[in-house]
Amino acid sequence: MLAAAAEVIRERGLERARVSDVAERAGTSAPSVLYYFASKAELLKEALVSAEEGYYEQLDRELIEIESARERMVKIVGGGAGEGDYDAALWMELWAKALSDPELAATRAELDGRWRRTIAEIVRYGQARGEFGPAEPEDFALLLGSLLDGLAVQIALGDAEVTSGRAQQLSLALAERELDCELRAMA
Amino acid sequence: MTEIAATECGARERILAAAVERIASDGIDDMRIARVAMDAGVSTSLVHYHFETREALLGEALEFSYERAGEVRRADGEEAEPDPQRRLLSMVDQCLPYPGVLRQDWVLWLELWLRTVRHPELGPTGARLYERMHDWLSEGIAACGPPPAIDPGELADRALALCDGLGVRVLIGEMAIEYARAQVWGYLARELNLDASLGEG
Repeated sequence: MLAAAAEVIRERGLERARVSDVAERAGTSAPSVLYYFASKAELLKEALVSAEEGYYEQLDRELIEIESARERMVKIVGGGAGEGDYDAALWMELWAKALSDPELAATRAELDGRWRRTIAEIVRYGQARGEFGPAEPEDFALLLGSLLDGLAVQIALGDAEVTSGRAQQLSLALAERELDCELRAMA
Repeated sequence: MTEIAATECGARERILAAAVERIASDGIDDMRIARVAMDAGVSTSLVHYHFETREALLGEALEFSYERAGEVRRADGEEAEPDPQRRLLSMVDQCLPYPGVLRQDWVLWLELWLRTVRHPELGPTGARLYERMHDWLSEGIAACGPPPAIDPGELADRALALCDGLGVRVLIGEMAIEYARAQVWGYLARELNLDASLGEG
């Protein structure tokens, strides 16, 4: 049901997504969708949280296989997990709705916090191994997380100048400066 | 046609200004053409005459809002600021959602991002606006005499992405705008060897 909701919201946007579409795609009825989710906002929230959880599980599995902190950094900046689904369309929906819906704003902050903790942990791991300079991990996580969000927007707008490969180079350049290390040669 | 002929040429601008405000306060999905027409003091058919679709109205409203922000910038005397560091800092400020016109612009931006995913025809409008911002900021960076290893265009891409990513968090209420400003400026100052404390005032 959550996968169906994610698909419908991605295609039509939250405003135009109908509970009956979600029900049809999930092979169930509208009343039963509404039995589980009180509102469409609830549906967006749950669909995102479920997509993100899958993403992080996959990412954690992949990161643990990598010994070098610098390679871990390159990995998360390069779009993260191979099979995982960083869903820009759902994220943007969440951003826009978070403006007027405090509950969705809290969901966004929670998911964002998890992403930033992942980044900060890699920084601390790399500092312990002597691979990174003395940047403040939380500050760096906010900076890199914000940069990646902003670049995702540029890519979504179809800016010819910013492709995902170039976005990766731009992000790694920032990380190199802040962490005082070489990263772009490893990408 | 009589109504159109009789309408002063400012009607189109009034419609755009009304649309910008409605989109910012209600969101594009809840923006009603009838309401925009009422706010602008024109008939709905005149709105439809000027803008065939909602997407056309959104695209033009964005361009309009951007032009207006540009006028605010010039009126603020940004171009007269002789110190390139201060001028760059004032450019960063223009890229963040300060209350008022800039905040309104920001909500429009957010709506544009959202739309572009499902309405690719809006892509060129967004890309064009972005390119103008990018060229403008690159010049501001170049004027600060960057170290030889720094490409002003690439640094402008990073700075704009930072402003967008942090600005959205300000808009949602996750952080104070002063904090976002200090983060963006701190990063630029480290790259360009500028005075980091300037961004904390």
